Amino acid sequence: MSSKALRPDGREAAVLREMSIVYERLDRVDGSAKFGFGETKALASVSGPIEVRPTLELPSQAALDIHIRPLASISGTDSKALSANLKGILSPALLLSHHPRTLVQIVGQALCGTDSGSGMGSVGRGWSASLIASLVNASSAALINTGSVPMRGIVCAVAVGRKASESGGTELLLDPSEAELPRLLGGGCFAFFFSAVLSSAPASDTPPCSLLWTNYTTNTPFDEAELERARDLAEAGVREVWKALKESVGTMDASQANIAPKAKKDLEAMEEGINAEDADESDDAKMEI
Amino acid sequence: MSLVLPGELVPAQHVNLKLGPGLLQSSSPSGESSTITTRAGELNHSPNGARWWIESNARRYVPAPQESVIGVVIARSGENWRVDIGAAHMANLDGLAFEGATKRNRPNLKVGSLLYARVSLAHKDMEPELECFDAQTRKAEGFGELKGGFVAHCSLKMCRLLLDPKHFLLSILGSRFPLETATGLNGRVWVNSKEAKHIIAVSRCIEAVDPDGRGMGEAELKKFLGTLDV
Repeated sequence: MSSKALRPDGREAAVLREMSIVYERLDRVDGSAKFGFGETKALASVSGPIEVRPTLELPSQAALDIHIRPLASISGTDSKALSANLKGILSPALLLSHHPRTLVQIVGQALCGTDSGSGMGSVGRGWSASLIASLVNASSAALINTGSVPMRGIVCAVAVGRKASESGGTELLLDPSEAELPRLLGGGCFAFFFSAVLSSAPASDTPPCSLLWTNYTTNTPFDEAELERARDLAEAGVREVWKALKESVGTMDASQANIAPKAKKDLEAMEEGINAEDADESDDAKMEI
Repeated sequence: MSLVLPGELVPAQHVNLKLGPGLLQSSSPSGESSTITTRAGELNHSPNGARWWIESNARRYVPAPQESVIGVVIARSGENWRVDIGAAHMANLDGLAFEGATKRNRPNLKVGSLLYARVSLAHKDMEPELECFDAQTRKAEGFGELKGGFVAHCSLKMCRLLLDPKHFLLSILGSRFPLETATGLNGRVWVNSKEAKHIIAVSRCIEAVDPDGRGMGEAELKKFLGTLDV
């Protein structure tokens, strides 16, 4: 654990890759966000509360419908299993009873893929632990962006990998990157729930958090102490994720500075295309009249 | 004023505490009450700390009583009309909830008619109800069917901005040409003017200023308006 041996990308064992959070403002959904640990990126969109099909309708709370799509092809059994897990992870964070007989729909899309193949627990094939963590964080960010679905707290996740160390024991790595995946002996995603409702004690700079879900699995047997170490490593990591999400709240509006350069480019493009668009819109206006 | 995420503790303590959107009070088994945030945004409070609320943006409308909305008549069911207000459920509008309406003399609304109405009942377990008059005075107060014009869609924050008399957009547009607007808090703005190009200009300006769209400021909007030939 304490070894200072650097990883392929130069990180120490307990350091996350650089996080990126972009609010995509996708059309025709109520909220959307892209989250990435380095290159491991996922996109999520949220609509809700919206009208629900009678088959899904619940009399006392909103129905939560989650669809997960892999990078290529249609969602298979592994994606379906992941969406069932994600439903369990996100449900405690949402105040679904505030909008009974409605639907909250989340669509997640992987924006990177490792080797083909499936299997939730296996690290490095199909849905790797880092990708699941990205997807959980992207869903949380999209829910924050939506604003119309009340939440009790938010869920953040990171992956922990397990590697044989040079001294013969095992070493735990926070947020394994794609390059590290083939050399891992196991690992998993750790999802934590952050909310002030967990305890009334005034927390430091982040609210209290508790472990919600993990799929930590290894090739060789592991003991309770190792899981405890992995949990502690992950907890330190998710606190960073929570802080990054909090910082991103200020970037949701278009009027913020970091989006301005892009908007300016858009303006120039718009001015060129204005004549064509105007003709388009006047047709709509005439129809309305 | 600070930015918050859902699930954070809010130091709201006052004998006469009033909590606005995005805040939830819960009491612990020991009888102490605490307030947490339920959405992300900017935390605001009144100078004496009695009123707290979160300022944030959203696209999906959740009905709240006494808010004015713009809806489209979808169907007629007996005496009532079913109106789409952009929320999860259709709203109900009583056929007699209009100024001067009686059993004999009812307004003639058709499917597809546009309405400016007030939400009179909003409860999570019931369908929202609308009215097109003030229940006390029984006068229309500007509510009723909207004829002609165009409905522009925007984010919920944008329609709150449009209702702010100090906001720059409508005064800039009003100084260029005469126009009529009706702002619904459900993200729909009805615009009418004599010329079609003015209506188009208004709806494009609303899109441009919308914080969920391009989020233009006052100076930028004036420049943009210069390119629009109005």
